[in-house]
Amino acid sequence: MTTNKAKVRKQKAIEKQQNIIDALKDHGAKVYGDLDNGQFPKFSIPSRSVSNIVYDKKLRQYILGNSAALRSSRNSSQLRSFTQLMWLAFFANRLTQEKKSSTLRDVYYSSQAFAIEFEDQSESDNIIVDLEAVLSKPREDFHIFPEERSSIFGDLNIEYTIPGYEGKKMNLSNHPDGYAIGPSLTTAELVDTSAEIVIAIEKGGLFTRFVEEQVDKKFKSIIINTGGQAPRSTRTLLKRLHDEMGLPVIVLTDGDVYGEHIAMVIKSGSANAAHLRELTVPDAKWVGVWATDIEKFKLPTIPMTESDIKRCYDLQSDPRYQEGIWKKELDVFLKIKRKAELEAFSKYGLTNITDKYLPQKLELAKSL
Amino acid sequence: MSSIKEKFNQISPSEFFYRNRDLAGFSNPTRSLYTAVREFVENALDACDQKGILPDVHMSIKAVDPEKPDPKPYILTVKDNGPGIESKHVPLAFGTVLYGSKFGLKQARGMFGLGATMAILYGQITTNKPVLVKSSTDGKIQDEFELLLDIQKNKPVILKHTTKEVTKRGLSVSICLDGDYAKAGSKIKDYVYETSLITPYATITFDDPKGEKFHYSKIVNEMPPAPTIIRPHAHGIDVETIRRMMVESQFEIPNIDDAMVEKVRKDLGLAKNNLAFTGIMDKAKKRWKTLSKPVRVVIALMSFLKMDFDKLNKIRIDDIDVPNKKLYYWDFGDSQSKSVDMDPESQYYKQLTGTVQGETLTTFLTKRFQRIGPSTAVKFAEFAGFKPEKRMGSMTNEELVKLSDSLQKFEDFLSPDPSCLAPLGEEPLEKGIKKFFKPDFCEVIQRPASAYSGFPFIVEMGIAYGGEIRPGGPHVYRYANRIPLLYDEGSDVVLKVVHDTDWSRYKVKGDPPFVIVTHICSTRIPYKTVGKENVADRQEIERELRLGLQFLSRKLAAYMSKRGQAEMAKKRANLYAKYLPLIAQFCTELAGKTKEPNYKKLLEEEIIVDDKQS
Repeated sequence: MTTNKAKVRKQKAIEKQQNIIDALKDHGAKVYGDLDNGQFPKFSIPSRSVSNIVYDKKLRQYILGNSAALRSSRNSSQLRSFTQLMWLAFFANRLTQEKKSSTLRDVYYSSQAFAIEFEDQSESDNIIVDLEAVLSKPREDFHIFPEERSSIFGDLNIEYTIPGYEGKKMNLSNHPDGYAIGPSLTTAELVDTSAEIVIAIEKGGLFTRFVEEQVDKKFKSIIINTGGQAPRSTRTLLKRLHDEMGLPVIVLTDGDVYGEHIAMVIKSGSANAAHLRELTVPDAKWVGVWATDIEKFKLPTIPMTESDIKRCYDLQSDPRYQEGIWKKELDVFLKIKRKAELEAFSKYGLTNITDKYLPQKLELAKSL
Repeated sequence: MSSIKEKFNQISPSEFFYRNRDLAGFSNPTRSLYTAVREFVENALDACDQKGILPDVHMSIKAVDPEKPDPKPYILTVKDNGPGIESKHVPLAFGTVLYGSKFGLKQARGMFGLGATMAILYGQITTNKPVLVKSSTDGKIQDEFELLLDIQKNKPVILKHTTKEVTKRGLSVSICLDGDYAKAGSKIKDYVYETSLITPYATITFDDPKGEKFHYSKIVNEMPPAPTIIRPHAHGIDVETIRRMMVESQFEIPNIDDAMVEKVRKDLGLAKNNLAFTGIMDKAKKRWKTLSKPVRVVIALMSFLKMDFDKLNKIRIDDIDVPNKKLYYWDFGDSQSKSVDMDPESQYYKQLTGTVQGETLTTFLTKRFQRIGPSTAVKFAEFAGFKPEKRMGSMTNEELVKLSDSLQKFEDFLSPDPSCLAPLGEEPLEKGIKKFFKPDFCEVIQRPASAYSGFPFIVEMGIAYGGEIRPGGPHVYRYANRIPLLYDEGSDVVLKVVHDTDWSRYKVKGDPPFVIVTHICSTRIPYKTVGKENVADRQEIERELRLGLQFLSRKLAAYMSKRGQAEMAKKRANLYAKYLPLIAQFCTELAGKTKEPNYKKLLEEEIIVDDKQS
């Protein structure tokens, strides 16, 4: 049964790669055909302008509307970016075929070997997002990864699929500093786990505390450090842990408006990635630190800054903050105009958060 | 208390100019050399223009002693192929101030021919050397004069006069004067260069003191149409001019001597017959239409005197007192003054008063001025408060002033006749500009004639861009009556108009290679100074300049945007040449093909792109 399941998963992974390669080939063939027929090739790119980003209640995430921009090689002002996009597709194809990974920074530098100039990395990053939009696939699917800054720890067996490590297995509780969530981990087979829950935590400091306090064992959990706003590879991994291993996901953040939004992005994505699906964990739960917790646990606080307050007002107009704890906590933040970090629990002893607060919240999560 | 008796001395024009030579541009050796060059070259060109000769002017400046430092004496010689000056006029033309033929009303470079004499005068006072004039009017005999000016008497002193045989017509003038070529040289070279631009039908050669030769051959072989001499316009008149015109319009009472009586008899067909008074009158009535004016006047006098020819011979007419209708005469026989009454109803009365008091106002206006017809004249008389038949000769001083003022103020005169102007014409101007600046773009315009204060003028303009023009434009070349204006640029009306223009509106940016040529032609250019270097900002002239410049600027803008488009198209073509091969390379590998697609035809295609399309 397990092996069969693994086989299916493996098959799925191979299919996914093949889909990308096929999609890239289709686009290439179309451009080739246009050129050969004396036509200027063009791409239709879903528009990512604010007016085209809408919230889909059914999917519970932001998606792109129907409007699309035409990028034509006929238009001299678009010719350059058209060529850049074409090069990126070509480059992504090589990466995927050769099962090599690269970072955003790599892409920026690799372009120079082909006489494709990017003004700066943000220009090349934009083209990468364009290709994501054209293919409706995250860049990780065509082997372009962000810099790693998030990590994972817990009893999870994986099997690598990247070249040179194929078939190699690993248990993610072997190293107490945790494992960086990079391309090899994101693409690895998730074989099995004894954990029953995934705890995503905003800060590296708390992640280390949780490992020291053996939260993984005490609460049968996999601990993930999101390193602030969770990178997309981490969100992909969270989704896979939820979907493939059937694990519930809870999110623990600082007690402020940014923390609340980190949880929201894991749950329902960001407007920035509205062109992508499969990056969200709609069932993920934010368990703290809530605004109401600040009073309840008598946490030491600091006053909100003006930008904190502005952010609160911004989020009040976001359709996802119109109900439930999202709205309630946001309103309380605005009312008390104070915030508390996860470390605030240290006032009551270094292990207070793992001994007292976490168990309560885990219990509460079941009822959320 | 002592009284001082002031002493009034009459000074001659020569002395006046000698004392005020700064006014005429002879203030220092630098300026004087330059002014002298101008005066002689302009006279040479004017002389050729007037006779329709394509000018060939040769100018040379030689240092008397090249070793000496500036300022030092130079010999300036200007030679032309013009009509020359008749031998008898040469001493007066070059040896007196205010002698010249340029007093008529038409466009010429110089106004009164004063400048050349001033240069001669200046040369004489700085070096004490005579002027050398060689002139041939027929191309066979040449008169050579050495002249000095007697400043006090304003009279020429001929030192030497010889003749010799030659083969070419023309005039050559050579003077020795104190000059500073080290300082004036660049201006003189600019002057020669710029003059040849506005005189493309002239060949101009200049040998400078350092042995350099500048040669500008003519580039058109046709003279621009010559201006005609015309009557003045009412708006450009003053009291003094009216007075002079009146003198011309009046007939003197004929002197009734034997010759006059003979003439009257002959005209009446009575050379041999001796008729009595009534017979003479009958005869005169029959032949009235064929009689000349003096004869008519004599007949009119006889009618009141009631005398025949014999009696007429024994008297002298003293006065015709029109207001009192009396005719006074001296009777030789009785040796006393007598008078007779004149009957105002008589037809002869009109004849006499007309003679004594000149033309009527309306006749005077229509005959002596341009663009005034009988009905305008009558309208004007009403405006000015005169009877239309008012005799000019009966006007008092006050009335003349009133007439002059009214002529300036009356607005219904037609604008001045521009036929006295000699613009260069669009084609020669364009050829000149193209030859001189070798631009990528050139456009010229001749504005319709306009007038200020009764003086007609025409503005011609050209604009040129790119090519061999140096950057840092607009470079403005100003001309007035085919004279380049080089000094005192700052206060000139042309520069004011140019500087008021926002060139970025016409797509001219940065440090443009860009030339503007303006030519103002007028019977009187409103110079700000006697030195003829800058034009005052008369509203009418400024308006014409502005309109002309706007027209040219719009043409330039159209050219610039076309040029911009061509540059863009080229830039775009380069973009395609750069990127399409890359696209081809990438899609070939992506599509899994080995041979690149045939994208070459896309490169050849004329590409129309809407940049706003997204």
